[in-house]
Amino acid sequence: MNVEIAELTRRFGRTQAVAGVTLELGPGVFGLLGPNGAGKTSLLRMMATVVPPSSGRIRLLGRDPGGYGPRRQIRRRLGYVPQNLGFYPRFTVVEFVEYFALLKEMPAARVSRAVATAVERVGLGDKATAKLRTLSGGMLRRVGIAQAIVNEPDLLLLDEPTAGLDPEQRVAFRALLRDLGQQATVVVSTHLVEDVGAACGRVALMDQGRIAFDGTPDELTARGEGTGAAGDAPLERGYSAVLAQVRS
Amino acid sequence: MSDDVDLDRVWIGVAAQVWQRRPGPVERAARHLLRSPGLARALVTTPSLLLGWVVATAVVLLAGMLATLGTGTPFVALCAPGIAAAGIAYAYGPGVDPAWELSRSAAVSDRMVLLVRALAVFGLNAALGLAASAASGTATAVTLGWLIPMTAVCALALAAATVARSANVGVAAGLAGWVTTVLSGQIAAGRLTAVVTDSALRLPYLAFAACCAVIVVFATRQNRPRGTT
Repeated sequence: MNVEIAELTRRFGRTQAVAGVTLELGPGVFGLLGPNGAGKTSLLRMMATVVPPSSGRIRLLGRDPGGYGPRRQIRRRLGYVPQNLGFYPRFTVVEFVEYFALLKEMPAARVSRAVATAVERVGLGDKATAKLRTLSGGMLRRVGIAQAIVNEPDLLLLDEPTAGLDPEQRVAFRALLRDLGQQATVVVSTHLVEDVGAACGRVALMDQGRIAFDGTPDELTARGEGTGAAGDAPLERGYSAVLAQVRS
Repeated sequence: MSDDVDLDRVWIGVAAQVWQRRPGPVERAARHLLRSPGLARALVTTPSLLLGWVVATAVVLLAGMLATLGTGTPFVALCAPGIAAAGIAYAYGPGVDPAWELSRSAAVSDRMVLLVRALAVFGLNAALGLAASAASGTATAVTLGWLIPMTAVCALALAAATVARSANVGVAAGLAGWVTTVLSGQIAAGRLTAVVTDSALRLPYLAFAACCAVIVVFATRQNRPRGTT
């Protein structure tokens, strides 16, 4: 298992962002759904080793991120796209991706080829030497994805990765996710239900810091059948039905 | 010609060569010195080490040098700690680094990035300040006297910026602390330069800098709270 989490909590002052999550994830694409404030981003940030948990147990890639050495080893094999991804406007696409390849301690001899591969995979080859300040929001999002996959991570964490992408780019991105998920554990946090239906083999629905549902997209769809729950698509109706059930 | 040439692979190889960025002499030297290409790149991307910032620092110190030559008051000694504090506050952290959260998830320790950047900014400011101070020719007694107060003011700015997660708060704390100290010296001893000439203050400055360093270490820790395994 690449991710082993048991009774994980995270508190920010009086706010309980994550309230006892238990998950085990192997290779594949895992969708994390939920309304705003459900705790998805906090859970992802703990998995990205950016913030420590308040309590509970977490092991990533077979290691405990609490220690400096194991955390460093985890981070070498980690890819992360945060919700608010900042950019250095004076950097080019290649410089930005290369910067994070170096920060991930990739062997220097491998970096230039890995950067070229990542930039091409996200379809930004024709913008490789463009300054980031000249790119559109969707292109910047793809730059963020390129830096996340540059080290061919075993654990890839994506927080709202399709925000700002046009429909064509989203279709291409889902194909990329499916491809990456064949080897790695890919966790995609989103509130766009159609992304989950198209790309994820397994999905969890979070609400108020807890996992309210964990299963396949088909199982989530089935939860909405015959319930009269709101939604334009079957998966959306399943999403609404689970939330309504949890909150009732 | 063989039919099974993988054109994608060939293209990636060509693109890697064409797009490859050659590090400049400073980065090459930093790579050699730090033995970490990631840390070296993090160093050369320090906001307060960019050319514009360095030029601005040099201009202010040049003005201080001219004022010192004109009035005999060691303005370089009085303004150097404040300038260095601003540089330190803008060296690292969420207030100045747009991709700070991303860098926190990287293998190169953000604490090492902080340390290397802070040392580089401090060293550069100290060198520029010493050059300006020596060139002003007057008040040789304070040519080196401001280095220890500068250490304390920089440590205060760094601690405030790290705890508040804001470079502006760091700058404000550093400048406010230094101005308060200078004015206190003026009131107590009747001289603006008392804070850089009084050798009895050196130990308190160093103790204060050490306390601030402890705060920085605490604020950048990444150990886990109780109850986790």
